Order: sequence, then C-alpha cells, then structure tokens
Amino acid sequence: MKGTVYLNDKTGIVVIGATGREASQVIKESEALYPGIVKAGITPGKGGSTELPVPVFDTLSEAVKDPKVGKLLNTALIYVPPVSVLDAVMECLDNGIKVLYIITEHVPIRDSEIIFQEKERRGAIIVGGTSLGCFVPSVGRIGAIGGKDPSVAFRDGGIVVISKSGGLTVTTAEMFKRRGWGTYMALAIGGDIISNTTYSDVLKQIKGDPKVKAVVMLGEPGGAYEEQVADLITSGGFDKPVAAFISGRFQERMPEGVAFGHAGAIVERGMGKATDKISRLEAAGKKYPVKVAFYYHDLVKAIESLGVPRDFEDSTAEHVKPLYSTI
Amino acid sequence: MKLYEHEALGSIFKKYKIPVPRYVFATEMNDAVSQFVEKESGVVVKSMVLVGKRGKAGAVKVVSDKSKVADVVKDLATRDVYGEKSIGALVEEKLDIEKEFYLSVTYSTKDRAPAIIFSEHGGMDVEEIDPKLIHTHVITDVRSVYPYQIRQFLSNVGFSDKDLLRPLSEVIVNVYNAFVGAECRLLEINPLVVARSGDKRKIVAADAVIILDDDASVNPAITYGARSAQGRPLTQREQDAILIDQGDHRGKAGSYVELEGDIAMMTFGGGGSTVTAETAIEAGLRIANLTDIGGNPPAEKMYRISRIILSKPGLKGVLVCGGTASNTRIDVTLGEGLAKALDDMKAEGKLDKNLVWVVRRSGPEYVKGLKMLHECFERNGIRGEIYDSQLPITEAPIRLKELLIKHIGYKPENVG
Repeated sequence: MKGTVYLNDKTGIVVIGATGREASQVIKESEALYPGIVKAGITPGKGGSTELPVPVFDTLSEAVKDPKVGKLLNTALIYVPPVSVLDAVMECLDNGIKVLYIITEHVPIRDSEIIFQEKERRGAIIVGGTSLGCFVPSVGRIGAIGGKDPSVAFRDGGIVVISKSGGLTVTTAEMFKRRGWGTYMALAIGGDIISNTTYSDVLKQIKGDPKVKAVVMLGEPGGAYEEQVADLITSGGFDKPVAAFISGRFQERMPEGVAFGHAGAIVERGMGKATDKISRLEAAGKKYPVKVAFYYHDLVKAIESLGVPRDFEDSTAEHVKPLYSTI
Repeated sequence: MKLYEHEALGSIFKKYKIPVPRYVFATEMNDAVSQFVEKESGVVVKSMVLVGKRGKAGAVKVVSDKSKVADVVKDLATRDVYGEKSIGALVEEKLDIEKEFYLSVTYSTKDRAPAIIFSEHGGMDVEEIDPKLIHTHVITDVRSVYPYQIRQFLSNVGFSDKDLLRPLSEVIVNVYNAFVGAECRLLEINPLVVARSGDKRKIVAADAVIILDDDASVNPAITYGARSAQGRPLTQREQDAILIDQGDHRGKAGSYVELEGDIAMMTFGGGGSTVTAETAIEAGLRIANLTDIGGNPPAEKMYRISRIILSKPGLKGVLVCGGTASNTRIDVTLGEGLAKALDDMKAEGKLDKNLVWVVRRSGPEYVKGLKMLHECFERNGIRGEIYDSQLPITEAPIRLKELLIKHIGYKPENVG
C-alpha cells in the first residue's frame, strides 16, 4: 500500500451531499487533480444526475451495489448540514464504509458523541468534524485542502502535518515547502470538542511508516488531545521528531469572561490551557525529540534543530520584501 | 452560551424534573415578590448575572427579616457584580440545609465521553475541594444510563449516606438527561443540597449553571437571545456585525469582538486568526478588535465587516492577515469588498490617513486581488505594505510593529 490508512492508492471516495455548492466544487477540482479518486456522489433526490463528473445516487446503499463503482467505495467525504451529519455517518457505517471524513462544521456535540461511540464499536476511522480533509502528495487528496492549486503549498516529502485548524494545515505545509521540506501527509483533524481522530490516534497509525521523517503538530487550547501526545511519546509510543506549536496563550491573558466550566477544569485538571499543553510537551522534549515553537514561524527552526534533513533546497530569501509598498 | 440561573430553572430543570427551591424572578420589587415572601419563613435573594462566585461579591443574601426584602431585592436586581450588571433578582425559599454536594456533567475530552462529577463536599469553589474527594463517572454508552449504574458508582466511591442512594441516583440521572436533552456543554449544581423538610429529607438544586452547546440542533441564541461571551452587553458594532451573517450562509464575516486596543485585526480562518492575534499580542501590539472571516464570503459581507472594523475610534494600525486560502477568493474579499469600503470611507471623509497597514494573504486569485488592493491604497493615499505567502503568516504582525514604530513612534506594550 502506498500512503496511509487515511489516504492511499486504494482509496475510493464517495461524497455524501455531493451536489451542494462546496462539495460539487471539490469533486470537480479533485477530478482535475487526481482523476478517478472520487468514484461516486450521494444526494437524495438527485440520483442519476449528470451535473458532476461522477455518478450520483439517491442512497449509499444503491451506490455500494452498483456494478461499476460499488466495490471501489471505501472512503466517505461528508458535506451535509450539521444536523444531518449523524444520519450521514450512520448511513456510511451501515453500508460498510470504514474511513469517513466529516467536513461539516458546527456538528452538535451530542451528535459528535454518539458518532464517536458508534465508530468505536464498529472499528471505523472517522476524521472530523470540521476536518478540511487529507493530502498525500504522492497519492492524492481528500477534500478541499490546498484549494485549486495545491502545488503552491504541497510537494512530496517526509513531513506529516497534523492540525486542528484546516487553514493552518495548508499554511504550514507551504511555509515548510519554501524552506526545503515537503509533505508526506497533511491531515486536518478539526477542532471539535469530541474529536474522532486525535493527534495520538494518527501517531499510532503512522508509527512504523518509513516515509515519515518528522511530525509537525498544530494545537489549540481546549481538550486534552495535545497532552495525550506528550504521554504517548514519553511512554515510548512514538519516537520520531515532533515539532509543535500551540496557539492560544494570549487568551489566558485576556480578561476572564464566562470562562469554560469549572467542571472541565476538574476532569482535566492541569490540562486544556495552551500553557498546560506547552509545558507537557516541553517536558517530553527533555528526553525525546520534541520541540515546541514559541512563535508559529519558529516551527521551521524547530524542525531544523531536530536534525530533520531537507527534502529539497531552501527557496526563500532571508528577508522577504513586500510585493507592494506605499509607505 | 451560558444561561442565567432563572432561565436554567424555568426552562430546563423544570422539564427534566430536577428539584429546585420555590422561587420567583423579578427585575424589580413588585407584588409577585411580596406575595411570595409572605408565604416563606425566610428567603434567599440572588443577583442574576453570568459571572460566578456571586456569594463572595455579596450578591447572594439570606433575608429573614421580611421588612428588609424590598431593599435587598432593589439592590441585588440592579447592582454590578464584578463589573457585570445584574438583570434582576431571583428570590428563593430559604432551605434548611443539612449537607451540600457538588454535581456536574460535562464532556471529558480525555475520555471523549460525558462525565458525571460528584463530591460529597460541595458548596465551596470546586477548585478548592481536595481532588481525592471528587469522583468521576464516565458515560461510555450514551444510549443507556440508569439509576442503578449511578448507585454502583456512588457505592464504589464510598458514598456515606445510604438512605439517599436511591433518590440521589434518580436526581443524577435526571440531571444527566437534562445535560443530554438540552444539549449542554456543562451543567453544574453547586451546591446540590440535602434539605430538612419536617421529618423528611429532600434533595434540592440550590444553584444552576448551564452552558449550552452553541452548535446545538436548536441555536440557543434563537431561544434565549444573542449574548456576548464576555459577560458584558454587545457593543453596537458587535451587534451590527452579527447581522452580516443572518439569512446569508455564504461564508462567514460577522464574528467580531472588541477589545481596548489601537490595532484593527482583519483576520481570516479560525486557526490563522488565532495565531496572528497571538503573535501580535506577544509582539506588544494592543488589539482593538478580532474577526474571523472565512468560507469565501461575498464582497458585500466583506464590505460591511471592513467598515465595522475600521470605524472603531482610536485606531493606529491595521493588520489584514490570512494564510493560503483553499476556498476564499482574494480578489472578491480584498480586491472588491475591502477596497470598496476604503473608497467609500475616503469619499465620506471617514478614512484615517495616518493608519499604517500590513496585508499578508494568499489563496485563489491572490495575484489579482492583492494588485487591486494596492491600486486602492494608491488612489486613497493609504500607507502600508502588501505581502503574499512568501512572508510566514506570523511575521506579518511583527512587520506591522516595525512600521508603526518607525513611522508613527508607536510604543508597543511590554509583554512578559
């Protein structure tokens, strides 16, 4: 297999909510970039439509029985409105799809919880909600990550970028590309409270993959997912270089408003705040190859100092000049 | 969204049969309060504010002398509590309290599941309770939660009052059902009291903190009205910004929060906005407002939010900053929306020429979009620098700081 469990040369995508504005654009772009990676689309009531470069079905059950594409479908890309996500996930799981991406933002937390527990029972992989998708330059793309021309940000290499923020996933890949490191995989896991795929879930999956040279992780305040990475590394569960940036320190300095629950603070005592995450990862960095960047752009220096070899030449000048100046 | 105590009692506790004291809510002293007080031997009066630790601020008062109730209600219904204005007073029966528990339900991200948190030592700030005395029960199967499971949990953690096992387990299940049914992020009762009533004992929720999921299937802003997450009323500009996204789901431009600074932040994308703001603050810039624009909003939305951002008085600099967009069109957002706002503000004499600008943006049609914006800068005499993604995103606020110091003698904050 070429690629990862999240995206590989066997990946065949079915898009749920295929004829919506964003989804249809993504299908068309994907077809142009990696022809044939998207196999089918589902929109109830639009079965048989020819508006997309892939066949459209009313139900997933029809699609998986289709003699042409049915057997090729193994990955679902979900683009339905927030309140329909749970329904879409159940439709996918009940029809045997084992890898799902939830692109939809603002999924109700209660639904996210039901989805997570169902996924655990069925042994499926779900990325998101609020994922932007996945990019493995040597294999293909799932979702809109990187836009119309992903070559701006992505070039094949050895770095794995894992980020809660979709936008930063691309921004980070681009920053590294300019400085000589390419991307093996970029995965936008989404920042939802109940995250179906966490940083440590990914690290466990890619642990033995020889193509992985280093991991760049972008974290945010809230939850315990970044702390879990520190725990995983210190327990010997991942030994390749990890550079991390955790945003949100400034929120701790802002006047406290309706701060999040005391209860949250109890369940996750000493976790959740940006500074908690940073100190846990820094502690892991004393014995293991882990570096936390103070400024986001220091991630490049962190990867450099961890001794990760460049995939190609550094192309950026030391001091970047503005495109235009009126001052 | 956080609810006021009287909202939690009236709309959620009642529905899920969580026992509460007899109460009446009033914005001022009135007949309903007088009649209520008449029937009680004593009352507790509480200011209705969203901030916590009301008791320590003197915003919760026990009143036994009925002649004093009117004055206390008048005071607590209108006073400021930690800077937040009370919207009314909750007047409750005074309970004969035997003991106080702590109870809450929230999502534990460690377990990726709802967790019930219980302590026999409630009443004080939960942070002050010895962690050894706080017990957590994780709900690993949300499809079925029964009182017997709660009794097993209470038994396992050595709950001392065996007579209360059944009634308490039933109240806790009701609280859990309220948490799930009302789509909460947090439901906290501190204290959950055991009160004497004649020769009987009853369990009563003597407080109610509810934070609803803002993404709940029914938007809480529709049910309870929009409210600022900062524990203060929304400013006019914040209210205007909310309207931008109403009834138009193309992209998002109305998420706007004001602070007390002098640097306007026009930032794009959740993650990008956060790191940019963060770096700006670390670099010593005082932020005047925060925005999070994304999802390819049309030019009209960009026009409106640009005017709101730039209308805040006292600005010295503007940072327009985002990563490499996947979807958002740079020609539409910056080349059309922002540029038109600047043209119009200039024509109306509302554009401050002394502002220093740094723009850093990339994404679909960025070459065209940045060129259009540059032309707009030229024709309106706007001073600044425009970058694409060659400049790492978080170096943009640092560039702005350098320009501000050089050109207008800006004095950055000394950040530790």
